[in-house]
Order: sequence, then structure tokens, then C-alpha cells
Amino acid sequence: MELSTLGLTLAVSVVCGLDRTAAGQFMLSRPIVAAPLTGWLLGSPEAGLQIGAMLELLWLGRLPVGAAIPPDDSQVAVGCTLLAVAAQARTGMPLQAVAVASLLLGMPFGKAGQFFDRQARILNGKLLHRAEKALECGCAKSLERLHLLGMLHFALASAATLGVVVSGGWLLLPLALKTLEQPLTAVSNWLWLLFPLTGIASLLGGLKVPRGWQIFCVSFLLSLFVLVLR
Amino acid sequence: MKLPRLVLLQVFLRSFLLQASWNYEQMQSLGLLYAVTPAFRRYYTGAALLMAYRRHLEHFNTHPYLATAVIGALLRLEEQKQQGADPGFGLSEFKAAMVAPCAAMGDAFFWGALRPLVAVAALLPAFQGFWWAPLGYLLLYNFPHLGFRALGLIRGYGGGVRVVSSLQHWRLSDWSVYCKQLLLLLLGVLAALISIAATAGLGLSGAWVLCAGPLLWAVAMLMRRKISPLLVIWVLCLLSLSWSQLR
Amino acid sequence: MTDVSGDAVGIVLARVDNRLIHGQIIESWVPALDVDCIVVANNQLAAVAFQKTLMEAAVPRGIRVSIGCIEEMVDQLKSRDLEAHRILLLFANPRDALRAYRMGILFHELNIGNLQGGKDKKRISCTVALTGDDIAQLQALEDHGVKIVLQCIPSDRRQLWRRSPD
Repeated sequence: MELSTLGLTLAVSVVCGLDRTAAGQFMLSRPIVAAPLTGWLLGSPEAGLQIGAMLELLWLGRLPVGAAIPPDDSQVAVGCTLLAVAAQARTGMPLQAVAVASLLLGMPFGKAGQFFDRQARILNGKLLHRAEKALECGCAKSLERLHLLGMLHFALASAATLGVVVSGGWLLLPLALKTLEQPLTAVSNWLWLLFPLTGIASLLGGLKVPRGWQIFCVSFLLSLFVLVLR
Repeated sequence: MKLPRLVLLQVFLRSFLLQASWNYEQMQSLGLLYAVTPAFRRYYTGAALLMAYRRHLEHFNTHPYLATAVIGALLRLEEQKQQGADPGFGLSEFKAAMVAPCAAMGDAFFWGALRPLVAVAALLPAFQGFWWAPLGYLLLYNFPHLGFRALGLIRGYGGGVRVVSSLQHWRLSDWSVYCKQLLLLLLGVLAALISIAATAGLGLSGAWVLCAGPLLWAVAMLMRRKISPLLVIWVLCLLSLSWSQLR
Repeated sequence: MTDVSGDAVGIVLARVDNRLIHGQIIESWVPALDVDCIVVANNQLAAVAFQKTLMEAAVPRGIRVSIGCIEEMVDQLKSRDLEAHRILLLFANPRDALRAYRMGILFHELNIGNLQGGKDKKRISCTVALTGDDIAQLQALEDHGVKIVLQCIPSDRRQLWRRSPD
């Protein structure tokens, strides 16, 4: 893997990581944006789009309510895209198989994001104490700088999460691809179907609105009907 | 005193960094100070500025998009207080009263309804391989996002405590229910599209698509029992891998 | 989910949360317990008109909201008015909860969601910090046979409140 590839990925990872909480929240951090962006920069927009769509749907139901921090889907999206693009270039296996494998191996490492994110927020607590002290001393100027320093913590947390996802995947992926090459290629179509189905099911399980199930069923059957007839 | 447009613009832009130093003790308190600083510099100097900062460095946590409404109203109330008007409540109380309902409305509408709705709308073209799907997602989502941020600041600063009636008037909590219903409608289309593409890809006859229904229902029931989607995916994948090995 | 039935009315959850109605209530508890009526018993909130308005606006249509001072809400809960509803009852602090209990709203279980930290408060979980007074109120409730449970959202682990030895 070239240094420029890693550098580009890291840049995307930090931008998306900051977008998650610290700055803006324009939703660049959602997998549907972060993964295609990475893929596009690494020269394989197709891989990015596929991985982004899978992850987005799978983790759509996770809400950041209260103090609960969801797994870091942004870094998983960026990291898995990098892994898939690199692995495909090396092995020449079909995109679907490589993408499924890198997603399966990369996703569990998203848990690391929760840990690093919490660390960043704890470090930010120190910034608050420093700001309180500064106010006591009558030095209001440093407030803004202290506040902005928090972004550094969030950026570091993103980079660290990406590091865990990529290095974890990097160790496991060649092994998995080597031993499971044939079955993976054989059933990758099936596996490919499992992701969106699980995603849709998790959304359905979590949503509770008046007449929800009826709306879904009618729309599903009607669309099937129209699509089959076409 | 009325703030010049440029200062309001600065406050608006700074509000995007509201959560840069989010922490467990006071959440967005430093972020609030950061956002109102351009305005506070106009209101106060020297010791008075310090006092104002100290007053406001306290627990603050609300939805980042609706925060501009609170910030705008806060600035207006600061001005009214300086002119000697007594609103009948303290600014701290005002903040404390605003944050929780704004968080409830924002969580329900933006995180719970709009984000998944726009995502599913973008996933429809994404699954067909259209490269512009992510761009469409960003455009569709950020239109209302930026709109609410800007409108919040304008209504908040323009109306002071009357921002409450604007927030009430928007009825975000009702809209979140409508958005979720629309989301389920689109989700049905997406499920149909994927099942058809899958059966075609696997070379199965059209009747197999109907199997997707019960499968979805079964997995959804699993999810209700708080089983993580990741675990479900892993188990299903291992099952199908071993099945293909056995065959 | 076990029903915690009160005295003649269907209270499915009695909760202490200093933020009262917020995201966790609307997005997590209401769908999880099929709540169709939220009752907020709080004297301060009832007095500040704009806050009451905002709280009501944060709840989607189809779910009834009733906000008022403790006496008022106790009367309403005892009347036949809310009989058919699945009720989520909210207090801002343990003191209010005990007061309502002594007035005859007999919930069997009290959920503790968020109680903000501050000076002279003992932090007993990530989101809950108690003053000495809070602890005394909770102990009094426990003496009446109320189970005190710490749980932010339904998917969190239920943590039983343990009486501290001191």
C-alpha cells in the first residue's frame, strides 16, 4: 500500500470523524457518504458505493440518544473501503466477495470507536477545568482556544479508530481470503443479500409508528407486483 | 442595541462548532460560550465580559441544530436585561427550560426521522449503482438542516422568548411521525427492489421473492430482542459459508 | 416488561429525570412500553408558562400530555379521567416522587433516569448523582416497598439501587 493512499484515507477519516460530533454535522460522516468518498479518492468509486450502502442500511437504526455512543460507522466505512480496494488490487477476486469479507472483519473493530470517543470526551473535561481556571484568573482570551482544542481530541480518536479497523482487517483479511476464497466467491451473492435484509429488519424492529407494519407491507407487495410485471 | 448582521453571521458560523469540546461534565457549555463570544464582545468589556462568561459556563446540552434558536433567544434576552427589562425568569432558568424540549424535538425529528428517511431515499439509487446517490443524500439532508439552523437563529434573536411559539408552531414532533411513515413506505420499495435483484442474481424463479417477507419478519423479531445486527450478520454468514462447504 | 400498576390507574413507568420530557423519553421509553399518556408532576414547570408549552410541543400528536403541579396531577391520576391510558409518570427529583407516593399514587417501582451532577453530589452511575436529601427520600420510598431501579433507556441494563452503608 502506498503512502499517499494511507494519507488520503487518513484525511477523509479525520474530516468525517470531526463531522460526527465536533464540527458541522453535515452528515459527511454517514457511511453512504464517507465510503464512496474514500473509494473515489482511491480510484474505486464502485467499491465505496457498495460498502457505503451496506453499512448505512445496517446501522441506520442506531440512534445517538442520551449518553449512549453508537459504534463508529464512519471509520468502519472508511477503513473497510480501503481494505476492500487494496485486497481486490492484490488478489483480483470479485468485488462483492472482497467487500463482504472486509465488512465482516472490519465491523467488529468499530467498537474501538466507542472507546476512543469516550476518551476524547473525558479529555475534553480537562479542557473545561482549564477554562474554568482561566476564567477565575480573569483571562477570557484562552476560552476559545481551549474549546477548539477539543477538535484535536476528536480527530485523534478518529485516527486511532481508523488505525484499529485497518490494522485489524489487514491482519485477518489475507488469511480469510486465502482459506475461504472459493466458498466466499460461491456464496457472495447470498451474503450480499443478507446485509440489506438485516438492515431493513433492524430498522423495522426499532421503528414504532401508527400503522407502521401495514404501510411497509402494502408498499412492499405493491412494489413487488409492479417490478415483476415490468 | 441591535447586533449587526455580520456579528450574527459570525455567531451562526460558530454554532457549527458547538460540540467541539463536548464533555461529560457540562456537555456543550464551552461551545455555547464560543458561539456567543462575537456578540458578548459587543455587549460587555473587561470585567463585565468575564462575569458574563462565568454566568454562562454551566451545564448546557441540546440538539446541535436547534441550539441556534436557544442561542438567538439568549442574545435577545441579554440585550433586554441590559436595557433593564425584567422577563420574570433568570437566563440560567431560561436555558435550562429550553434545552430538554429542544433536544427531544431535535432527536426525534432529525436523528430519528429525517436522517433515516433521506438515507433510504438515497439508498434506492445507490443500490442501482448510481454514483450521484451520496451527493443527493447530502443535498436532501442539508437543505432542511441548514434551513432550521438559520431560521432558529433569526426567530430566536428576533423574538427572544417568543421563539417558543415558533418552535411549537413547527410541530417537529408530529412531522417526525409523518417522516417515519414515509420512511416505511420507501423501505418497502427498497426491500422489494433488493429481493428482486437478489433472486435474479441467484437464478431463482420469481416466486422466491415472497420468501423475503417472512425472513424480514423473523430478523426484525430478533432485533426487537436487542440482538445486535452485527451478530445476526455474522451468524447468517457463517451458516451460509458452511452450507456451501458441505454441499 | 412488567406492568407496574398504580392505584386504579395504569402507570406503566414512574421515573425520576431532571430533564423531564426529552429524547430518551420520546424516542425510547414511549415506543418500548406503548405509552399513550405522559404525566409530568412538577411544581416549577407548571409555573413557567413557556416551558410547559415547549414540553407539550415536544410530544407527538396521539400521545396525551398532562403537566401540572403535584397535587393537581395526583388528583387527576386518582380520577377516572386517565383510566384507560398507559401512563408514563415523570418527576424531576426523588422528593416529588415520595410526595406523590404519600398522597396515594402507589407505584411499585421507580425508575431513575438522569439526575444531573453538581457540587456535594454523590455520583452513583454515569448519569445519576444524588444529594444526601435525595438518598434519604429514596430510602423512604424503599421502606414503603418501592423497588428503585437505575436505567436510562430500555436497552440499558437494569441496575438495582443499593442502599449505601453510610
